Amino acid sequence: MAGARPAAPERRRFTLSDRQVGILFMLPFIVTAALFMVWPVVEAVRMAFYAYNPLRPDDIYWVGFENFERIFDDPLFWESFRQALVWTGWSILFQTVLGVALALLLNLTLPGMAIFRGLLLFPYIVPTVVIALNWRWIFNSEIGIVNHALLSAGIISENIAWLSTPDMAMLSAILLNVWKYTPFVVICVLARLQTIPTELYDAAKVDGAGAWRRFMDITLPMLKEVLVVVIVFRTIWTFNKFEEIYLLTRGGPGTSTFNLAVYAFEEGMANLRLGVAAATGVVMIALLLVGTIIYVRVSGFGREEKTA
Amino acid sequence: MSTTRRHLVQGVGGMALASGLAAPALAQGGVRVARVWGEPGPYGGVFVQGMNEWAQRNNANVRFEVEQIPWDGVTVKLTTDLAARRPPALISVESPIAYQLAAEELLEPVEDVNRAIRAQERLVDGFTLEQFGAWKGVQYAVPVHHQPCLLVVQKDVIDELGLGDPGAWNWDQFANAARTIAERKPGMSGYTMALGRNLCADYHITQFIWQAGGLTWDTRDNFKTVFDSPATVEAFEMIRRLQPAMPRSAVEFSFLQVVDQHVAGRTAMSAYWGRTMGRAAEETPALFNNMEYYLNPAHPRTGARWSWTDINGWIIPRRDNPFIRETKEAVAYVSNSVDWMVRYSQSLMPNVGPVFKDVASAPAMLAHPFYQSKPRSLDVIFKDSVPHACNTGLEQKRGVNPLAGVAHGRSVWAQAVQRMLLNNEAPKTAVEWGHRQFEGIRRDNARMLAR
Repeated sequence: MAGARPAAPERRRFTLSDRQVGILFMLPFIVTAALFMVWPVVEAVRMAFYAYNPLRPDDIYWVGFENFERIFDDPLFWESFRQALVWTGWSILFQTVLGVALALLLNLTLPGMAIFRGLLLFPYIVPTVVIALNWRWIFNSEIGIVNHALLSAGIISENIAWLSTPDMAMLSAILLNVWKYTPFVVICVLARLQTIPTELYDAAKVDGAGAWRRFMDITLPMLKEVLVVVIVFRTIWTFNKFEEIYLLTRGGPGTSTFNLAVYAFEEGMANLRLGVAAATGVVMIALLLVGTIIYVRVSGFGREEKTA
Repeated sequence: MSTTRRHLVQGVGGMALASGLAAPALAQGGVRVARVWGEPGPYGGVFVQGMNEWAQRNNANVRFEVEQIPWDGVTVKLTTDLAARRPPALISVESPIAYQLAAEELLEPVEDVNRAIRAQERLVDGFTLEQFGAWKGVQYAVPVHHQPCLLVVQKDVIDELGLGDPGAWNWDQFANAARTIAERKPGMSGYTMALGRNLCADYHITQFIWQAGGLTWDTRDNFKTVFDSPATVEAFEMIRRLQPAMPRSAVEFSFLQVVDQHVAGRTAMSAYWGRTMGRAAEETPALFNNMEYYLNPAHPRTGARWSWTDINGWIIPRRDNPFIRETKEAVAYVSNSVDWMVRYSQSLMPNVGPVFKDVASAPAMLAHPFYQSKPRSLDVIFKDSVPHACNTGLEQKRGVNPLAGVAHGRSVWAQAVQRMLLNNEAPKTAVEWGHRQFEGIRRDNARMLAR
């Protein structure tokens, strides 16, 4: 008869709590965010208090608030700020109005609508550099297709200088931005539209509400939350936008399409004052933070959830 | 035999360790790559082919690779690469930027290379080694080519309208010709120059300033800012006078748009370097046949015909550059070879003017078809322009000025003119604005000048 089997040494079980597992899963994001988002922001804030010529990376010294004084004394900074407001304001207005209108159209159940929805994403998918360079050709006042088409149709009698006068250049830049990013608004709004219970509309119809009334009293309130989020994000992204303006107009003619991002780039790369560029970035962060807080408060975003 | 996780981990770990230990040996055995920055165009690539011939013949264990950097992109690219401590081994760049980098003490002195290639004796008459890039008596550039900005003319249009000989024009006759063409040739501009906020506009504008007798800084008077002179105002007035004869969108034009305008037959005259002729030969032979180059129109009072000329040399970044010895030897090898230098010049005719006499007069150089079809224009571009050659870093040949590189980074000349043309500022007011910017640049960079 075999003897009793000796008990195996008890292995220490390596177990993690749910909380630890959760942290583990979040770790890649935390590390990535810290590396590519938090650290650059911290570095930019630090740099805003130093003088740093990138041609001489070893020659860096503390200047306190001098960089901020410099930008606040610079008329071009204020001009860029005003133009950034124009650029952002009109872009967001057009994107929102067009985005909601297009989303309402795409929410209709018509044959082939899926194709339209797919096509609508095209501007959003194409890289900005490709779009901007194409638009430069399209808007070329001498050989551009827009002027050619308008002249051929008899709408204009002489070429329009799309990118050569300050007002038209800003308008062209805004048009590009609206064309490229309206699809983002459409996607968000369309997703929300598809979750609105149809019973609400049926009940409203029974009560005799017309299309406009249904839109104002049902659709728009239902879209409010998503629109607040979309407008906040689009405002931040548009206010910070650099590549579209730079590739299309390089901030010109003159400095008529400078926004703060282009101003920061020019300070950093053309004027070789990285500290001043960083200070501009810090000011932009502050402006957007304050603007976002005010907007979210005014719009009452999340208030319903708290009171529920 | 089954593979356990433990075996797998051990195997992978062992391989990683072995690779790590072998890396230095592999690196020693492999060919090292040295980056060379060339301007847009094939000529940098041709020079690099010659450098690689030297590398092969000498078993130098290095391969040179060309990277094309746009004229106005060099500073941005260089700042990022220097910050990353990874500069190119060799750079060909517009003169004022080279002067700036030399004064910033970022370049390797190259007297040894210039001696090895007998640069002083071989230089085309009218050029000096200093003009290619020297600072405080130290040479930082090896001569490679020159490119003058001249008056490009469709001679058939001039003859048809009876506008005389462009080679004998002064400013007034030139402005009248531009106006006449714009009035009498529908769909065609009289004259095209770059007026956008860019490097090309800086170059085109400053030619007028020098012709009128103006300067931005006076290198002979402690780099004093002298931009607000009556001569500069006169140059601005001349540009405003020419504007109605230009395309409306000239205020956004840079290099490419000026050439496009000319080779598309939309202008009878333009300010440009040799590339317009090259493009016309490739794309529109009818225009090429009637195209001629002239010295810039003379100022009525000074008689000056200054041309913004890229007096271009090779420069070698000093810091964090592990290829200095190989680069110097390879540059000397190619520069000493008339054959390679002819190939270099001919890779983009007639854009890249030879700077060595033996190259300019080499039978292979003179055998190029352009010498048969356009001998007068080629003489103007390659030879006649040399006495009138200067640039923003070498204003009126009064000495090298590194401040110009900084000013180009900000396109101050172009911005000043744009204030006059777009904001309707009076020429004097726009000039005074420019003067303040230039004075600011001088003040900010006093450290560089004193170094």
